[in-house]
Amino acid sequence: MTDLATAGISPEAVAASAPARTHTLRQLLKRRTFVIGAAGLTIIVLIALAAPFLAPHDPMTQDLGKGLAPPFWAKGGSLDHPLGTDTLGRDVASRLMYGARNSLVIALFAVLIASVLGLVAGLSAGFSRGWWDSLLMRFGDVQLAFPFILLAIAILGVISDRSAVHLILVLGIPTWILYARVVRSRVLAERDKDYVLGAKSIGASRMRQMWRYILPSVWSAVLVIAMLDFGFVILLEATLSFLGFGLTPPTPSWGSILAEGKRNMIISPWLAVLPGLAIMLTVLAINMTADGAADVLDPKLKISVFRRTPLKKPANATWTDLEGRAAASTRSQPVATKDEMGPPTLLEVSDLSVEFPLPDKVVKAVRHVSFDVHRGRTLGIVGESGSGKSVSAFSIIQLIEPPGRVTSGEVLFEGRDLTRISNYDMAQLRGIKIGMIFQNPASSLNPVLSIGSQMVETIRLHLKVSPAEARDIGSQALLNVGIGNPQAILSRYPFQLSGGMNQRVMIAMAMLTRPDLLIADEPSSALDVTTQAVVLERLREITREHQTSLILITHDIALVAEFADEILVMYAGQVCEVGPVRSVIDDARHPYTRALLQSVPRAEIESGKRLQAIPGEPPDPAELPPGCPFADRCVSVMGICRQVNPSQVRVRPHHDVACHLWSSDKDEEKV
Amino acid sequence: MLRYSLRRTAQMVVVVFGVVTLVFFILRLASGDPARMMNPPGQQEEIIQLTREKIGTDRPLMVQYWDYLLGLPQGDLGKSFHGGHPVLGELLKVFPNTAMLAVATILFSSTVAILLGIGAALRANGAFDRLVLVYVSVALATPSFWLAIVLVLIFSVHFDWLPAIDMEGPKSFVLPVLTLAVMLTPVLIRTVRQSFLETLSDDHIRAARARGIPEHRVILVHGLKVAALPLVTLIGLQLGMILAGSYVVEFIFNWPGIGKLTLDAVAGRDFPMVQGGVLVAALAFVIVNFVVDLAYAALDPRIRMSAK
Repeated sequence: MTDLATAGISPEAVAASAPARTHTLRQLLKRRTFVIGAAGLTIIVLIALAAPFLAPHDPMTQDLGKGLAPPFWAKGGSLDHPLGTDTLGRDVASRLMYGARNSLVIALFAVLIASVLGLVAGLSAGFSRGWWDSLLMRFGDVQLAFPFILLAIAILGVISDRSAVHLILVLGIPTWILYARVVRSRVLAERDKDYVLGAKSIGASRMRQMWRYILPSVWSAVLVIAMLDFGFVILLEATLSFLGFGLTPPTPSWGSILAEGKRNMIISPWLAVLPGLAIMLTVLAINMTADGAADVLDPKLKISVFRRTPLKKPANATWTDLEGRAAASTRSQPVATKDEMGPPTLLEVSDLSVEFPLPDKVVKAVRHVSFDVHRGRTLGIVGESGSGKSVSAFSIIQLIEPPGRVTSGEVLFEGRDLTRISNYDMAQLRGIKIGMIFQNPASSLNPVLSIGSQMVETIRLHLKVSPAEARDIGSQALLNVGIGNPQAILSRYPFQLSGGMNQRVMIAMAMLTRPDLLIADEPSSALDVTTQAVVLERLREITREHQTSLILITHDIALVAEFADEILVMYAGQVCEVGPVRSVIDDARHPYTRALLQSVPRAEIESGKRLQAIPGEPPDPAELPPGCPFADRCVSVMGICRQVNPSQVRVRPHHDVACHLWSSDKDEEKV
Repeated sequence: MLRYSLRRTAQMVVVVFGVVTLVFFILRLASGDPARMMNPPGQQEEIIQLTREKIGTDRPLMVQYWDYLLGLPQGDLGKSFHGGHPVLGELLKVFPNTAMLAVATILFSSTVAILLGIGAALRANGAFDRLVLVYVSVALATPSFWLAIVLVLIFSVHFDWLPAIDMEGPKSFVLPVLTLAVMLTPVLIRTVRQSFLETLSDDHIRAARARGIPEHRVILVHGLKVAALPLVTLIGLQLGMILAGSYVVEFIFNWPGIGKLTLDAVAGRDFPMVQGGVLVAALAFVIVNFVVDLAYAALDPRIRMSAK
């Protein structure tokens, strides 16, 4: 019971379940665990049912002359007693078959009692929601607070003539609370939903509401719990029988056969081993059945042992595969070369592609993206969620979440290709030469470590200093980002600080080692507007002061216009437009960039609303067009846009755009 | 914090009181006459009556109950029906043996669970992960008493490496602890694996990597500190399972602990001893869970700070 109660079936986990879904047998049969488990269970049940016909002997008939005969495969065994005999010469195979009947029947009725009690208690508690509800639940809490098997032993131990009914009651009644909790939370979740309220308003009675609307959603949960409970009760019954508190002898059950076998386990080990195997296989079959069924019947229960962990979809990648032709045509050229633009190039990303292989498809999050970052300059990357801007940034420091991987291109940082260097070398660069700050400052700091210990850890990683010296350095770094009381902040935990404060801590930590490149992924979008300005101003000051190059990733084109030197607009994993910030802002060529700019009436507008001003939605990843991904939302769409993905063309100095409006493709009409 | 402690203490008293009361009445209502059982069959009624007077079962039930309750706060748990020793003394004598077994089991199981859970989570859906999940599902279905017997057959009977019964030296801990660990680890491993998987995809883990913190520190310091928190609570909750398991294990391995004492007392209708055994189990369970909750708060600054 303790096990089930803590195995993850929490009322919270199931409270938000959807109404009963239509589940078919076909879905169940697709689950290998379910099929194997159910098949095994069926065989065991059939054997138990057919025991009178299958058993070679009567399970109670003693034949003292033939005591302790070995099973047929051992020396001296015979097929007359295929699994040998016990001390009293009773046939072990027959006893196991009859024992299965007793074990299974006891467990079945115990589960029936528990589920009916739990269902009634849960329904009534959920519907009354008053004193009755709290009484039942408090009582359940107290009961769950104590391992019931200890009481069961005390109760059964003092009953001298134990029948199956005693066992059923003792094993069944205590588990009601497991069912009741889940049922109650389902009722609470369902009763206020529109369709139930609707039924109420048209005058459906309480009973009818229950039967029509709520039971179906409760049903699957109860079924799954009952199956798990079933396996658990079998184990418990066997344990009690083994300890001598099961059915009064000579009635066989698996536990009592095992207990008898234990006495002679040195001479005849099979007597103890075989019934245990029977119990184990049965419970395994039941658990597998329940597990497989839970996936289909009630995924919200989250009890599965066997289920493979679903591979997480990368948050920023929702793009499916594009046809090779379309993808190939978007291959772009580096924006500018060193001699063309003033400061030397620090980072050179060319033809970068990132893929996330998922079980049923491959998500191409970034497709053939190229850009340069110059020393001491700021590059702003703009795009909606899912445009691949964050994934591009993460691939610079090789921190793409598995299973994502870089499939093409190179990332040259000071002449070294970061996609090809070892993990060790990469770790040396991270935090020293390349720093990063993240969108959610609070969750990007370890919640259970103090600010000070995280700063000291980072400092001592890179500098050979004592913890006290590291603390001083950290304190100075906090002062540099405008935190007035650094000593107090060092001893705080992230949850005690405001978002803006946390983000300044992040900036201070990232700038500790004076990195050459700082990547800021939406550094201000989780902050409120006034804090945004402060944090960004600090970011600008500190990067200017140390001549740090900055990659500023954001969905906010106004922000980039204000802070960046160059701008890169991304859509659907590819580059739309790239160039010096004044050139792109004043003379935007790509319809998407123009739409972005038009949707910003002024600089300090509530973020998030802006992009909705562009009509339409990003294309459904499952039905991605072969041509330009923006074609469906584009005001200037042409015929060719739906067939050929445009490649980049230079429209002004250092200013490139990937759009058929400016390319020569539209004249050539190549397909 | 003080109010919380008071509320929890009240709750613990209610649970323990309820359990003790329940056991007291069940024993006396469901069982035969212990005095009769303590005498040979066919004994004269006068002698049986004398036995009743000696052990106090001749008095009305409510009087016995009231006496028992009055004795509890003074540490008087009554005297054993057999031999007349004070129950408290007997319990205290064997309690360390069960406690050692439980502590050894918890230490071993959580170490194994953390190693296997992290290993499985680091390569989710890989070969090792699959192997661990197979272990978890088989172990969940394995009856512990049967496992104990199989272990004895293998390691004591066949190889003669380890003692089969009794508590004699460190070697005798191996089989009982292994048995309990197989019972305990499946749930723990599942929790560690799940909690680690969730933690590994947390923002702060990625941020730690981005700061150049070496991978082993990311996993063992930043990951484990967060991911191990649910394990602490779980071990408290699983203490019930360990207690129940120790009944079985002490029975099989002839381990002189609370479990064996209680089982023997149940078989001999030694009511005060059964009550004492259950009382100790109930106390241990509620107290450990209280301590675990405090430990959780101490480990997680988010709770520690907000409680102040």
